[in-house]
Amino acid sequence: MAGDEAVASAPVADLDSDGLLGDFPAGRRLVGTRCDQCGAAMIGTRVVCSACVSQAVSRIALPAAGVLYSFTRLHGLGGGAGVRPVGYVDLDLESGRGVRTLADLREGAVPLRPDMRVVFGTDGDDWFFTPAESADEAGSSDE
Amino acid sequence: MSEQVYVVSAAMIPFGKHRSSSYVGLAVSPLIDALRTAGIDKSDVDAVYVGHSYGGMMTGQRITKEIGLGTVPTLNVDNACSSGASALHEAWTAIAQGQAEVAVVIGVEKLTQFGGGTLPLSPEDREVKQGLVMPAVYAMRATRYLYENDADVTDLARVSVKARRHGALNPFAQFRQEVTVEQVLAARPVADPLTLLMCCPTGDGAAVTVLASERARARLRLPRGIRVAASVLHSGQVEEGFRDMTKPEISYDSARDAYAQAGIGPDDLDLIELHDAFSIAELVYYEAFGLTGKRSAAALLRDGRTTFGGDVVVNPSGGLLAKGHPVGASGVAQVAEAFWQLTGQAGARQVPGARWALTHVTGGGTAGLDHGACTVHVFEAA
Repeated sequence: MAGDEAVASAPVADLDSDGLLGDFPAGRRLVGTRCDQCGAAMIGTRVVCSACVSQAVSRIALPAAGVLYSFTRLHGLGGGAGVRPVGYVDLDLESGRGVRTLADLREGAVPLRPDMRVVFGTDGDDWFFTPAESADEAGSSDE
Repeated sequence: MSEQVYVVSAAMIPFGKHRSSSYVGLAVSPLIDALRTAGIDKSDVDAVYVGHSYGGMMTGQRITKEIGLGTVPTLNVDNACSSGASALHEAWTAIAQGQAEVAVVIGVEKLTQFGGGTLPLSPEDREVKQGLVMPAVYAMRATRYLYENDADVTDLARVSVKARRHGALNPFAQFRQEVTVEQVLAARPVADPLTLLMCCPTGDGAAVTVLASERARARLRLPRGIRVAASVLHSGQVEEGFRDMTKPEISYDSARDAYAQAGIGPDDLDLIELHDAFSIAELVYYEAFGLTGKRSAAALLRDGRTTFGGDVVVNPSGGLLAKGHPVGASGVAQVAEAFWQLTGQAGARQVPGARWALTHVTGGGTAGLDHGACTVHVFEAA
């Protein structure tokens, strides 16, 4: 509007983010963002809600369990020389508004299949999801 | 939009590994041929639109300067695999709105510069940082599709077999050898359940079309060409949570809008050139374009209804799987195929009596989006 001062926009330092893994009171979890305005949830550290464009957002810990939507085994692709299982995992939040994340998968005794329950786990700075049934047997996940 | 727009000429080089050619070297010959076969002089051109993703700064201007085609606006367009078709959409828009009467559209890409491997994606993208590559996206789409539908991995192989059979008839195709289901299934695994022969090849290519208004067509006595009945460009919409990867909404929505703009439906189409970068895509897009209902795409393929002699010929050129997929060139090459088919110049792969054609190309590789861009065009014989 004529007469108003020019708005001073500022760059977002999104390259300073440490990635998706964060420390929370419940332990190490994937980092998410929840919109304080509309409740939408997003993967990673975000500064604006992609649903309502509110900049009032909060950092949250994403759930340590989810459902494997689909998966593949990469053969020498994506930075690995061997076979690397990856998949999309749907994490449901209390609000019913879920978040999907790409994830490395660790296969146990139970073969991977869509719609199976998977749980979050860490190995040093690496993180992954593994079938809940395999994790129950091995006791290797965070859940 | 008031002006009718026509494609009055098309030219392309055979797709393949042209390691001795630069972006200029790839594109200059089809540029000259497209102008010549349209019967126009470079001074008749009002604007140039150039689709590419990896050509670097001023790729379009580097090409057009070779023939002294300057001063007019030249716009470089990057929408990943949809770059060439997006450039054509911009040319169509300019002519339909009366901003230009004759426009040249160039699609060009040189993927051999990367020495092989998967397509380089933006290193700033969250999922790319996690190691995502395009075969993984389509492989996960395939895993889910096979899980939900009455289809199995041999159906994915059948798509490749059909593509190679069509490509064997196309002198512009990178692969002209037919393959069997058994060969496709036995090929090196890339991203389960996709084998190497279910993936489009790496290569180089260029294609050029000339678009003109009805008025320019009469004034310059241009060839009849084909009419652009619809030109639709959509961008992806972010989804943070659940997304049905077997129902890519950007292609559903783009096809719906293109049919509405053209005033036709899927039953009217004689041929389709669709974005079969990986074999699963073709099955998914049968449903997106309304060729069949949900869960019946594999049956459509098995029954031979999408090859010569069927209801509609899908990818008579061989598609991306056989003709090749030099990213920025692919969308324009699809239009070149439509041009030749609808003007009766397609030779051994001619679809008899073809009147309506649809072309479709997506651009992907961004976290949270189904695809970043989708371009659908519908053409009618003039």
